[in-house]
Amino acid sequence: MRLRLPLDQNFFGKGLVVLLAVPALLLPTLVLCYIFWQAAPVLSWGFVVGATESAGFGMADGIFPQLLGSLLLAVMACVIAAPFALSTALYYRAYASHRQQRLLMVMFNMLQGVPPIVFGLCGLVVLVNLFSWGVSLLSGAVVLAIVVLPLLVLNTLAALERIPQQYSEAGAALGLSTGAIIWRLWLPESGINIMTGLLLAMARALSETAPIMFTATVFSGVVWPDSIFSPVTTLQTHIFYLAQEGNDAQVTTIAWGSAAVLVLLVAAFGLLSRMLQKIGAH
Amino acid sequence: MTIVLVLGFLLYSSWPLIAQQGVAFIVGSEWYPFESLFGMLPALVGTLWAVALALMIALPCGVAAAILSAELLPARLRNPLRFSMELMAGVPSVVYGLLGIWVLLPLLESQLNLLTGRTLLAAGLLLALMILPTIMVLAEDALRGVRQSQREAAKNLGLGWNATLCRVLLPQAWPGIRVATLLASGRAMGETVAVMLVVGSIDRIPEPFYNFLQPAQTLTSRIGREMAEASVGSQHWAALLFCGLLLAVIAIVVSLAAHRKASVVV
Repeated sequence: MRLRLPLDQNFFGKGLVVLLAVPALLLPTLVLCYIFWQAAPVLSWGFVVGATESAGFGMADGIFPQLLGSLLLAVMACVIAAPFALSTALYYRAYASHRQQRLLMVMFNMLQGVPPIVFGLCGLVVLVNLFSWGVSLLSGAVVLAIVVLPLLVLNTLAALERIPQQYSEAGAALGLSTGAIIWRLWLPESGINIMTGLLLAMARALSETAPIMFTATVFSGVVWPDSIFSPVTTLQTHIFYLAQEGNDAQVTTIAWGSAAVLVLLVAAFGLLSRMLQKIGAH
Repeated sequence: MTIVLVLGFLLYSSWPLIAQQGVAFIVGSEWYPFESLFGMLPALVGTLWAVALALMIALPCGVAAAILSAELLPARLRNPLRFSMELMAGVPSVVYGLLGIWVLLPLLESQLNLLTGRTLLAAGLLLALMILPTIMVLAEDALRGVRQSQREAAKNLGLGWNATLCRVLLPQAWPGIRVATLLASGRAMGETVAVMLVVGSIDRIPEPFYNFLQPAQTLTSRIGREMAEASVGSQHWAALLFCGLLLAVIAIVVSLAAHRKASVVV
C-alpha cells in the first residue's frame, strides 16, 4: 500500500498531461481527413486541369487557372526574393562586422514579425497606386517576395552555417580570396541546402492569402495572364471568395476541392524540401 | 531598410487623417467611416480578445502535448506526432477559414444556442488551432533543451515525476515557452483571412467587455473587409492604413520582445 501512493500521484499528473494533449494528438489527423473527405466528390484529374473559361463565376468545373496563378505568383516571388536573400546571407557571413550582423538579425526578425497583410497594404499603396502597376501579377509577386524574404534569408544563413569552419579556414590558408571562397567553396557546398530553403519559401508563398488579396487577384475571368501587368486568379483567393458565397452545395464542394489541392501542393513542396535535405546530409 | 520604408509609407499615407483629427481617435469607440468617426478601440479590443482566447486554449494544450512528446512518448511515436504538427502548421490559413465557416460556425450555433456563430469565441478557437503547432514545436524544443543530467539529478533526489516536471523541467524550459507564446501571439494577431470569415465584423466593443459570444471586429478583419470599399486617398482609406500601421507596430514590439528573450536564453 505504501508503494502505491506515489505511483498514483504520478498517474494523475501524467493523466492530466495526456488529457490536455488529446486535442493536439487528434486535431491534425482530423482536420486533414475532414478536408479530403469533403473534397472527395470533386477530386479528379479533370478537376485539376479543367479550364472552362470562367463560366459561371467559380462554378466552372476546373481549377486549372487558379492553380496556374498560384504557382506563377509563388515562383515569381521566389525568383525576385532569392538574389536579395542570397546576397544578404553571403554578406552577413563573409563581410559583416559583429555589429552589422546583430543589426541585420534584428531587422530580419522584425520583418518576420510584421503581419503579411501589412505588406499587402503597402503593396496596394505603393505598387498598385503610386507606381500604377495596377492589380497585377507583378505587384503580387513583389509583395509576396517581401513576405518570404526573411524566411529565405534565415534559411540560407542556416545552410551556410552547416559548412564546417575548417573548410573556410583551409580555403583561406590556401590563399583563396573571400570571393573565391564564396564561389568555389560555400556555394557548391551548400547549394542543396539553399534549394531546400527555396522550396520552403515556395510553400510559404503558396499558403499566403492576405498579401495578394488586394494586389494581384481577381475572382474569375483569367486563364492565362497576358502580361505581368494583368491580374491573375489564385487558389487561395478562389477558396476565400467561394467561402463567402454561401452554402450552395456545389460551391461548397468546389471550395473543399480547391482547399485539398492547395494543401497537397504545399505539403508536396514541404516533403520535397525534406527529401532534398536528406540527400544533402549524405 | 524595408521595414523603415514600410512603416514610413504607412505613416505617410495615413497622415491626412492624423493631421485632421490628431491621434485621439485611437481610443475612440465609434467607427462610422461615413461620418468621419474612426475610433480604433473596438478593433483593438477585439484583436486583444481574440489573441487572448486563442492563447488560453492553445497554451495548455500545446505545452501538454510538448511534455507528452518530450518526456513520455517513446522516440518511435515522437516523430509522427511532430510530423503531424508540421503538416498542420503548413495548412494555409484560408483553409482554416473554410473549416471555421462551414464546420465551426454551425457547431457553435447549435451547441451554444446562439443567433449567429460569428463570435469572438469562434475567432479564438480558430486561431488556437492555427497557433497550436507553433507552441507545441517550440515548447518541445525547449523541454528537449533541458540537460539529461538535470533529470537524473532530480531522480537521485527522490523527486517523483510530477515534482520533476513542475520543479525542474518546466522552470528550466520556461524561457523557451515564453518565447513560443510571444511568437504565437504575434502570428495570431496578424492572421487575416481566417479571422475575417468568422469574427462577424461588427464594430462594437463587446458588452459587457468580457462577453466573447458576441460578434466583434479585429484590426486585420477590418482592413480585409473594408479596403476594397474605400476609395483611394479618402479619409476612410487613410484610417485603414493607420490600422495597418498600428498592427505593424504592435506586432514588431511583440516580436522584438520575443527575440530579446531568446537572446537571453542562448
